[in-house]
Amino acid sequence: MAETPVADIHPPYLYPDYNSTRLRAPSQPLVRVAPSPLETAGPAFPKQFVKDSEADLTTWGRSAPLGEKMVLVGRVLDEGGRPVRRSLVEVWQANASGKYPHPVDDHDAPLDPNFLGKGQLLTDDEGRYRLVTVKPGAYPWQNHAFGWRPAHIHFSLFGNAYAQRLITQMFFPGDPLLAIDPIFQSVPEAGRSLLIAVLDLEHGIEGVALGYRWDMVLRGPRATPMGV
Amino acid sequence: MAKPTPSQTVGPFFARELLWKDGGTVLFAGRGERITLTGCVFDGVGAPIFDALFETWQADPAGTFPSGDDGARPYGYGRVSTDRDGRYAIETMMPGPFKGPGGETYAPQISVSIFARGLLKALRTRVFLAPLDAIKDDPLARAIGDTTRLRTLIAARDPRDPKIYRWDVRLRGAGEAVFIEL
Ligand SMILES: [Fe+2]
Repeated sequence: MAETPVADIHPPYLYPDYNSTRLRAPSQPLVRVAPSPLETAGPAFPKQFVKDSEADLTTWGRSAPLGEKMVLVGRVLDEGGRPVRRSLVEVWQANASGKYPHPVDDHDAPLDPNFLGKGQLLTDDEGRYRLVTVKPGAYPWQNHAFGWRPAHIHFSLFGNAYAQRLITQMFFPGDPLLAIDPIFQSVPEAGRSLLIAVLDLEHGIEGVALGYRWDMVLRGPRATPMGV
Repeated sequence: MAKPTPSQTVGPFFARELLWKDGGTVLFAGRGERITLTGCVFDGVGAPIFDALFETWQADPAGTFPSGDDGARPYGYGRVSTDRDGRYAIETMMPGPFKGPGGETYAPQISVSIFARGLLKALRTRVFLAPLDAIKDDPLARAIGDTTRLRTLIAARDPRDPKIYRWDVRLRGAGEAVFIEL
């Protein structure tokens, strides 16, 4: 088959340029097993688990948050192109100045009282989602001298099966910091473009918000590892 | 075939965003034996990992996969972060064994995912809530083979409090837990 094996899409556990991997990456190879029937099932999130308002991160405060307002649309699909329906998508991000409202974030940048940077939604019957937010700022980190994380939005997906569970990050097109970010660069070249949203102005709000599009693809719930 | 979206680290800043109220108390539709799975997560030099997201998914005491919810949260799923000592605790019920598609028996177990800063992909595994001689026919136990490695996935029942199952997880180096690729 001419397809890129999954192993060439995901980053390795050990990526020494990202310092924290050195003491946390397992040294033994993973044991390959077929997903158990438990793992091809998954938790059922009730519709009331999410509120519609949680897909709009800009309405949390008393007034609008600072920053460049944006709409992100896309679909969650499986490897066969089938929509992943009514599945939980959680997002979190820094505010427009690159600050998280988190006790261990010591970046000397202002918090925004009108921005919490946290949202969630369920995909619709077509696997579609729509998120309204502000573009997060880049922020410095201690991994290496002059290190800055490119702007990114964190995503957590449940899919429809425990085996599909994925946490990842979405990046922005044309960001020069991508080239120096070991977390992004840990992804093999064949996979990197899959983490970058595309500008999609028509899904924005005229005169108000920029539009971006980003699709996510989860493994098939019953897929077995290559060669098994 | 579409290419799957690559994984990225959860990073250090998830605590306010992903944790659920009472996420360490796993809900079920019915009643059963309440147990607590608890332990610490350690890195390659034995230091506690204080910023991991620890998630569990399991069958109910009858070996049935939870499919409902209590109106607020799904049944069968646990989610906590480790604390300063690397400790996690999941209050749940004893899962029952279940059958695979080929008739194989899965021993009482909990599927675990660990996410953390420095983990570019989730670490996945299964922790057994039964002693070594009771899990030998489990598909993962067979795939591992080596008893020393298999023991890294067996939670030990606390002799003073039989409701407590202790399972420490070493991500790297001596005593490294077995992690799986599904
Ligand atoms: Fe981040």
